[in-house]
Amino acid sequence: MKTFWEKLGRAAIRIIEDSSDTIVFAGRVFVRIFQRKTYSSAMREVLVNQIYFTSVQILPVFIIVSVFFGSLLIGIVFTMLRDLGLTEFIGHVLMGLIVTELSPFLTVLLITLRSASAINTEMAVMKVNRELKTLETFRIDIVDYLLAPRVLNGIISIVLLSSLFSIVLLISGILFAKLIFGMNITVYTNIVLNSTHFSDIVLMLFKCAIYGFFITLIPIRFGLRASHELTSIPIAVSRGMVNVFAAIVIIEVLSLLIKLY
Amino acid sequence: MREFSPQAAPVSVDVPLISNQDVYMNIAMIKEYHENMPRQEAERLAVHSLGRIGFEHIAYKRNPSLTFEERFGVMLLRAAMVKDAMILIHKPFELIPHLQDIQMITSMLETIDDLYVSCHIYDYKWMQEKYGEL
Repeated sequence: MKTFWEKLGRAAIRIIEDSSDTIVFAGRVFVRIFQRKTYSSAMREVLVNQIYFTSVQILPVFIIVSVFFGSLLIGIVFTMLRDLGLTEFIGHVLMGLIVTELSPFLTVLLITLRSASAINTEMAVMKVNRELKTLETFRIDIVDYLLAPRVLNGIISIVLLSSLFSIVLLISGILFAKLIFGMNITVYTNIVLNSTHFSDIVLMLFKCAIYGFFITLIPIRFGLRASHELTSIPIAVSRGMVNVFAAIVIIEVLSLLIKLY
Repeated sequence: MREFSPQAAPVSVDVPLISNQDVYMNIAMIKEYHENMPRQEAERLAVHSLGRIGFEHIAYKRNPSLTFEERFGVMLLRAAMVKDAMILIHKPFELIPHLQDIQMITSMLETIDDLYVSCHIYDYKWMQEKYGEL
């Protein structure tokens, strides 16, 4: 019995230590993002490259997925609203659920699968290959050169891609509103605009920024935890990705609580 | 007269190139980071420096696709980009294992001698014969 409590206590201490380490690390990176000296020419080049890899390269696939998945989602939701006789809530459902909740969530899932895993592996490989040591040797701060551009890219990319996803959803909404409700574009636009609250949009963008911050920071943190053994790469990546998904769920729950109160 | 405070700039197996960056970026990042040199200017300087040692064609390649000589050249140029560089070459024959003598390295160093303040080569005593009269 004692062993059980000991194990439980150790696990709890480890989780608390891990979480506090991550928060301290997040604080360090967050502060650097607001320091002018971080934005050297080298950092800006890495930032532009990162935005290209995360936001631009993914665009064709992202738009196809948005159109396909968005249309499916809108079609299902509109059909349900019609069947339940809740047509008057179409605007609230569209803005309150689909645009402000589902589009950031789906965007963050897509970007996590594609970019967060890549960042996690990249950091672990750099650690194993002693490339981080190279940067230190040449007096290049890894927070400025590697971490800040990636985290900033996460924030920018999630905000932009989530907005794009929302726009695609709203456009496909025009088509489905016509098909399902026989609603013309003017009526649809009025309903959407009347259901739009500025605070919801701000909260959505803020949530996207928080998502972007953590889905890049956590993979970086776990990537940097790799040892100098090749075998530590898959361990670092799997732990990092599990923690990223845990962070996504926590952020989603917290944002719902903020909305409720 | 300007006073130099040389900065150590190692060329060693223990200080590898960044493999997810192009060759030119490995060289240019030193100037971009420490001197805030604009990207285009740093890129031009890196490509021009590679051209001086006959490696201009590798500017947009990455570390895994380089030969031993090319990799050494890039590491040397990266070290030379450090302001007032004191280049420290550690066991050069480990970087280019098939090299018979130091000739190729000394000629590379002579070609870019305006880019660094001093250069020191460290190696085991038993490798002395490979260095000849140096």
